Amino acid sequence: MKRALLLLLVPTLAVAMETQVLPQGAISVDVGYLRTALDKQWSGDRRALSLIDDIPRYEPGGGLQGILRAKPVAEFDFLLVSALYGITDSLSVGVNVPILMRSTIATNLSWEPGDYQPQLGRAYSLEDFWSWADSMGQPRVTGRDVNTQFRVADIVLGAKYLLPRSAWMKENHFRWSAQLNVALPTGSNADPEEAVSVGTNLWELHAAGDVEAHVSADKHFFVDDHGIYRLNVGADVFYAFFRPRLYTAGKGLKNPLLNNNAFFVGDTYWIDPGDWVAGTVSVDVVPFIGPTFASIVSGGSLEKAHALPPMLTLSASYTYIATMQSDWQSNSPLWDWDREKLWKAGEKNIFKFTGTISFFRLGVPVQLYASYRTQDIIPGRYTRPANVFTGGVRAVVKFW
Amino acid sequence: MKTSLPLLLLSFVMACAPATPPPTRETLVLTGTAYDRGLQHGTQLRSKIRSFYTTLMTNSLFPFLSREQPDIATLLKEYDADRYKNGGFARELLLESAKNLERNLGRSGRDELRGIADGSGLTYEEVLILNTFVDTTLAVRGIGLAIRQGRAPVVDSVEFLGLGSDGVDNSGEGTIDETDEGVITPYVPPYFAAAVEIDVRTKLRVVFSDPDGVDPQTVRVRMNEGLFIFGDPALEIVELDATRVQLTFTPLEPLPAASTITFVVSAGDKRIIEIPGPPRASFRRDEEFVVTTRGARLAPRDISRPALTDNRTRPPPFTLGVRGARAASGPLLAHSFALLDANTAHKHTVLLMHRPDTGPAYATVGWAGIVYGISGLNERGVGVACNPSDTLDNSVVGSVLDQVADLSKAKLLASGLPVGFLVKRVLERASNVAEGVDALTEIDPVYGWNCTIADDQGGLEVVELDSDVFRQGQGGVYRYGPTDRDPSMRRYSSLTDDDVISGSSYTRNVDDSITLNLAGQRVVPQRFWSGFFFRSRRVIDNVTRRLAARTEPVDVPWLEALLAEPEVIDRSDSMNAVVLDLKNRTVHSAMGTIPATASPFVATELGR
Repeated sequence: MKRALLLLLVPTLAVAMETQVLPQGAISVDVGYLRTALDKQWSGDRRALSLIDDIPRYEPGGGLQGILRAKPVAEFDFLLVSALYGITDSLSVGVNVPILMRSTIATNLSWEPGDYQPQLGRAYSLEDFWSWADSMGQPRVTGRDVNTQFRVADIVLGAKYLLPRSAWMKENHFRWSAQLNVALPTGSNADPEEAVSVGTNLWELHAAGDVEAHVSADKHFFVDDHGIYRLNVGADVFYAFFRPRLYTAGKGLKNPLLNNNAFFVGDTYWIDPGDWVAGTVSVDVVPFIGPTFASIVSGGSLEKAHALPPMLTLSASYTYIATMQSDWQSNSPLWDWDREKLWKAGEKNIFKFTGTISFFRLGVPVQLYASYRTQDIIPGRYTRPANVFTGGVRAVVKFW
Repeated sequence: MKTSLPLLLLSFVMACAPATPPPTRETLVLTGTAYDRGLQHGTQLRSKIRSFYTTLMTNSLFPFLSREQPDIATLLKEYDADRYKNGGFARELLLESAKNLERNLGRSGRDELRGIADGSGLTYEEVLILNTFVDTTLAVRGIGLAIRQGRAPVVDSVEFLGLGSDGVDNSGEGTIDETDEGVITPYVPPYFAAAVEIDVRTKLRVVFSDPDGVDPQTVRVRMNEGLFIFGDPALEIVELDATRVQLTFTPLEPLPAASTITFVVSAGDKRIIEIPGPPRASFRRDEEFVVTTRGARLAPRDISRPALTDNRTRPPPFTLGVRGARAASGPLLAHSFALLDANTAHKHTVLLMHRPDTGPAYATVGWAGIVYGISGLNERGVGVACNPSDTLDNSVVGSVLDQVADLSKAKLLASGLPVGFLVKRVLERASNVAEGVDALTEIDPVYGWNCTIADDQGGLEVVELDSDVFRQGQGGVYRYGPTDRDPSMRRYSSLTDDDVISGSSYTRNVDDSITLNLAGQRVVPQRFWSGFFFRSRRVIDNVTRRLAARTEPVDVPWLEALLAEPEVIDRSDSMNAVVLDLKNRTVHSAMGTIPATASPFVATELGR
């Protein structure tokens, strides 16, 4: 049996599209690097606030020691390994494995002195405060926490189906698809005993839902004889469901004054994150198709090579996500509320800009891409705007 | 299917519902036996009781009070034992005292605690600690503070220069230019003005001494709102010898004429204490000297301490009772209570309405898991409200005296009855002020308290309490009403026959403690060491001024507004503000926020 590696010969391999699927038997392997930076949260009135509320500290019976202010900056380095396989020309399945390689959290603590303390002869300074806390068994919170242990986040499995098209849709270069993603609970919760800790489940990363149902559509414009478009306009609507999560409460084993709440919260508590309803509009522009050669990628056919993806595709998208109220469910409604008030129903406004360079036409079955995603252009509400840079390489192959 | 679909839709809607803050104040109506009422309390506030115990005791007070262990172990070696180290000091000490106090709680008191334990899931011991820690902590903290003050610099003398030859009577004693006029030596903290009618350029001189030496750089002088520290041209600081420092404050500008001026001075020693942190010198308590400048024409006893807004003089608790012509529609008792919030107590406030099987119904204003309040009102029209009053004449000092023969084995042990249970006794038993005073004074208190009792017939009295461990002849009970007068024939703390104001310092029990040396530590009256003393005097004066300015009879809205005045409320540790309407059997209470009066007053009628 002839068994060879040859490369994909499809005219629609422009990965920026909302409705992208692979031809039957094709495999796309994508290795990406993501760098995420998060340094604020949006208030209910769209103001940028620190990720952590001011912490007023009181001397028991002695008034306000001062206000501990943290302006944490969290940075994450992810390795994102994805694979997509075309079961049929209309149905592709994929897997997405995010691996957190490094997390860096700078707490950036500052201090506003409070009341004058006669027994000290001064108001507390930040050093005084930590010395005081240390005298009660509470170690100083580190200014910078770097964790280089590789941790797998929730793995996402997905299936996308290119819905049947009518003659009119085909004639007008209109495509539409349905997609279902399901996350496997392979990520971790934040360590309840650590003062500074990050979890890697989708809720903590706030990147995607546990189950997402998408309906997408694309409309091509300025399509040439080989099916290559110069402009694509896409849209996607989705509903993201988050499953309730069970968390372990802190018992103050490492931070007796900061993380000791199990007695009244309960040994465990639930978070029902609240679902998302979202919509995206996107535009893909092909400014440069590039030289085209017959090669192994096109099976030696110049005609087929003309159907390969253009060398440069530029994409921009806007995603609106309405986030629902997150619900903490512990034994203490007071404690629950202290968290829920920061996670009220809100919204994200995500802009994403992507550039893709494809070498298919040159005979190299590889695409390079880079993207930047920001939530700063239109402030959101009750959400944490992570800005993400992504760079990666994608190879597409087909066996037969 | 027919039923599951609506349920599904309902659950979806519920999941989308916005979170709403839980109440930080609750009102519970408790009925039946003491155990029943405790069980209802414990069951209904289970989550809050557990959260209050953890956040206030486990996460705050235990570790904080354990910081006193090194200081106290210098005097009482028993506390060097391992079980008192590593944070165990506070819980062990509070538990030992709680068990000692338990016997005085009576069967109903113990039953109510058991009910709370059964309802909340706390152990009985934890509930016992929660219900007794206030008094024990005050006593232990007081001892710790007195020990610290004992090793801090002392004021040897205070002198306003030139008053002995200024041709004016500066002491109010009717004599001009006495030899010691303007000089306070030996130093006794003044109740009233340190001097009156001083010249606007008068200099202040204070000598501090300390065996470890006084650090000149720690000397501070505040004059009204102005702060003068080491290096300021107005401040001349001279080290007289290895143990004494003399500061001379020269006003760079003339003092305001015909005014009341407050000087606040303090200093630290040269020995830095490293443990417990943060590193610090031992500081003299803020000592205050109030003077008037020429033209004020006030006698020393007539001065009124101005309000200070310097972040170090937070107003302590006070009460104001009015009756008769002073009250618009029946007697009223107002209470501003501040002590220990620690950013948690205000989230756990509760008004408990007790309807016992026997005895009158009554309401107390307090906290989850605690069977009492520091104020309350019963259906017979008797109200009571108490303020802590620092004293070394307390039961814990008494326990040390009892063991003085061998201090190596001595322990701090509270005895008597915590004030909240005294308040409960008043409300459970009294039909008038006289019965209330009887109920209040039958058992010695654990610590010093000033309680004001009022009834709907116009009875109004302040009872100043201490544990009388020095057997000073009064049984630790010092009473006065609006019409009572001190030996100088002045009212103790009233403007008229129909009002009385009480703070967190003794007004009649001024020599609350004898002066003695106990194992190298000086035991002295309140005014020499308490951080409340000057602040209490100031808040009493402030309330007195406001009451004097009120020409109309006092009503509930006026008292509520008074309690919310920024100058009289502790913005950090305010715990509740209460107006008891004795005639109408109504409790008006503000709580659940910091300060308490950031919340609106809520009226609760006992009849409902």
